[in-house]
Amino acid sequence: MFKSIALISLVLLIGGASASNLLRFNQVVITLGEDDNIYLDALVSYDLTDAVMQALQNGVAVTFETRIRMREVDIWFWRQDAVEHRLRHILRYRALSGLYEVITPESASKQAFATSSAALRYLGRIRDLKLIGRNQLDLGQHYLVRLEAYLDVEALPLPLRVRAYTSPEWSLTVEPWEWRLKP
Amino acid sequence: MVIDGGALGVAAQAMKAQRIGMFAVLLLVLLLLASLHMMSEAVQRSDVLDTWFIPLLLFTVTGLALLVLVVGWSLWRLLRDYRRHISGSHLNLRLVALFVGLSLAPVSVVYLYSLQFLAKGIDGWFDVQVDSAMEDALSLSKVSLDLHKRERLTLTQSLLNSQEDSSVTALMLNLSELRESSGAIEISLLDMQGKGVAVSHQNPEVLVPTPPTEHMMQQISMRKSFVSLVPTLSNQLVVRCLAPDTKSRGLILQAIYPVSESLSGLTTQVQSAYEAYRERAYLRDSIKFSFAFTLSLVLMLGLFAAFWAAFYTSRQLVKPIRDISEGTRAVAQGNYDKQLPLPAAKDELGFLVDSFNEMMRRISQARNQADASRRELQAQHKYLETVLGALSSGVMALDRLEIIQTANPAAEKILQLPIKDYQGRALKSLMENAPYLSPFVKCFDTESGGLLEEQAEVTLRRANGRQILLCQRSSLPSPDIGIVGHVLVFDDVTELVSAQRDAAWGEVARRLAHEIKNPLTPIQLAAERVRRKYLGHMSSEQADVLDRATHTIIQQVEALKMMVNEFSDYARPCRLASKPVLLDKFIREVFDLYEGSNNRIDYRPDAAGVQVELDPVRMRQVLHNLIKNAQEALSGRQGRICLSTRLVRHQTHQKAQIQLVDDGMGFDPELLDRAFEPYMTTKSKGTGLGLAIVKRIISEHGGSVYAENRADGRGAKIVVLLTVHAIIKLAG
Repeated sequence: MFKSIALISLVLLIGGASASNLLRFNQVVITLGEDDNIYLDALVSYDLTDAVMQALQNGVAVTFETRIRMREVDIWFWRQDAVEHRLRHILRYRALSGLYEVITPESASKQAFATSSAALRYLGRIRDLKLIGRNQLDLGQHYLVRLEAYLDVEALPLPLRVRAYTSPEWSLTVEPWEWRLKP
Repeated sequence: MVIDGGALGVAAQAMKAQRIGMFAVLLLVLLLLASLHMMSEAVQRSDVLDTWFIPLLLFTVTGLALLVLVVGWSLWRLLRDYRRHISGSHLNLRLVALFVGLSLAPVSVVYLYSLQFLAKGIDGWFDVQVDSAMEDALSLSKVSLDLHKRERLTLTQSLLNSQEDSSVTALMLNLSELRESSGAIEISLLDMQGKGVAVSHQNPEVLVPTPPTEHMMQQISMRKSFVSLVPTLSNQLVVRCLAPDTKSRGLILQAIYPVSESLSGLTTQVQSAYEAYRERAYLRDSIKFSFAFTLSLVLMLGLFAAFWAAFYTSRQLVKPIRDISEGTRAVAQGNYDKQLPLPAAKDELGFLVDSFNEMMRRISQARNQADASRRELQAQHKYLETVLGALSSGVMALDRLEIIQTANPAAEKILQLPIKDYQGRALKSLMENAPYLSPFVKCFDTESGGLLEEQAEVTLRRANGRQILLCQRSSLPSPDIGIVGHVLVFDDVTELVSAQRDAAWGEVARRLAHEIKNPLTPIQLAAERVRRKYLGHMSSEQADVLDRATHTIIQQVEALKMMVNEFSDYARPCRLASKPVLLDKFIREVFDLYEGSNNRIDYRPDAAGVQVELDPVRMRQVLHNLIKNAQEALSGRQGRICLSTRLVRHQTHQKAQIQLVDDGMGFDPELLDRAFEPYMTTKSKGTGLGLAIVKRIISEHGGSVYAENRADGRGAKIVVLLTVHAIIKLAG
């Protein structure tokens, strides 16, 4: 990617942001590329609980979602966000091959990994995600960028859902990350 | 008839509110049923209502909580009514307990067995043999694929080893040949860092080799070959092999082989079945929990709907009974206008309520008629009381046992006794405090042969004089039980008799005066003429006889004249010249005439400021007569006369009393009642008109006079009572 000149470059190492310490943003970088677009790089660390790991080993597909929003500061809540991205990854274990598959429905891609940690590292990596063109923003305004990552309970099999809503072992979410910037 | 319209309106509003509440709860139950049905559908066909499960669950739990609140509120209200002993609450509680018990027992049994069947049914999906078969199938697939992988890895290694040329360029040129001969999808040469050197792909458009993963490169770095099954986007399996060059050319040969469609399809199906089975086995408890939870929600909905229905039904059943109970209580408290609201259902309870209302209407009508009769009776009674009260005659009603029932005010006035205090007592009881009424009681007493239907005159000897009553008794016959009572009618004719007697005596006196006075003057003149003509011509002896005889005649004629004059005074009609005077002062003036003489008279005035209206001339005559009478009673005896005044209460009025007490012989008890009658005297001299004139003058003044002997038996006492004109507060 063309990011030789970074007008806005933020490299943040974030530790212990999650309530459960199982999900956390390790790195978030927002850059302005040469093509005058704003890009996002991030590293989300996923540690699975025993319950989730056990479900994964037993063939239950687990879906993780990373939500990226960018909106003007002090704007009415009903106004549309300038940017809204939902990155979904489905993680599942294939018993026959003994591999962990990461399916990204957005890009219709499928990756297989020998270990769960490799698969989690893959799905926690966001590279060169184009958020918005700079010319699409109001340059006089401040914008709030907000990142959230969580395990999507609604995507679990129905019988597991009630337990997932009530059990802390299934409550995998990261404290939202927020940053104000002026393009 | 007055209908309790307000209560009926309130009852109608309450029924309307109940109906609205019933529809609201029914709607809630229907919504909950629909929600539970959709939840059940979501559990069974998760693809359709998958995302609606949690909202439906929240709605159902909220709705159930609402239903529980409604039932709890109904229970609280029922227990509150029970504690307050509100009518119908006991029966209501028993009915609710019965309905709840009847619904709880079978539902609980069905619930427990359903849970058991459900758990067993879900457990039945999983079996040790099925587990084993699934594991075996997977192992078989793995073995088959491992064999296939090993063959492909061996092939890859042999392909690399078969290239004897050490030139990389020669290897690159042979790649297409190698790919075609091995049947691979892609064959590529990589350097030891994993970067592509050359590639041959069955798709000529692919010019870049598939990059190896870190894991692959780690294994290659340890001089080990790598082989793995990799799924494609189209869910096909491919075998990916990486073989390091053993001839120190620093190359890695990567080959990607397709797995045969049959093997791929079969193994994929085995994998899918196995994974589905594993997932289901893993979710076994969750599935059980979901079904049990849904079933529990259904059970709770059913139970609480049944509880609510029990409350509602029992309330509806008990309401008419409670209304009737309250109605009977209202009747017991005298409220006959109570009308109960008719229940909607035309059943036996409705008939009962209708009959109760009809009964109440009739009772109310009867009570109104009774009230009208009672009012009429009261009016008649009041009219009769008014008539009797207006009568001057005394009327007393006795029952057949001669128990006093009632008496009019005139009776009390005549008998001077509060007869109301004697109501319910025998007629004889009047004598207990008034012995002087003995002749009156005996007159009406049938046992002692008293008066039946005739009139009789009864004389009562009171302390203050005689009282003459004219009495008549009438029996009240009844066609059924004979005599039901008696009515006594009596009049005080004392004054009338006295007046008649006075009139008769007045007439006698007038006639006597007229008949006697006329010949007296000629007798006197004749006696004086005989005396004058013949006294000088007679011998001294004869003259002496004549002188004494004529002197006697003239003296007696004078005495007769004086007596005739007194008769005239008594008979003469009186014309009073009354004026208000202070009683004490007036009597002092009369008393002063006697003061200084040896008359032994004391005066003790005690009516200061009391003013009476009297004719001074006539009242002086009264006082002179009384003093003279007392002086005559004391003639030849030791003793004194005491004249006194004071203010007394006589019956209901204040009276001015003049009392004259002497220490004489007193009145003969036999003649005491007639002391004020003309010609009633025990003295040798006198006309017997002194006290009669006193009584006449006092009567003309509207007062009364009576005589009695002193209680100590030492003389007599005469009491005059006059009407008080005013009481003046005197200075000092």
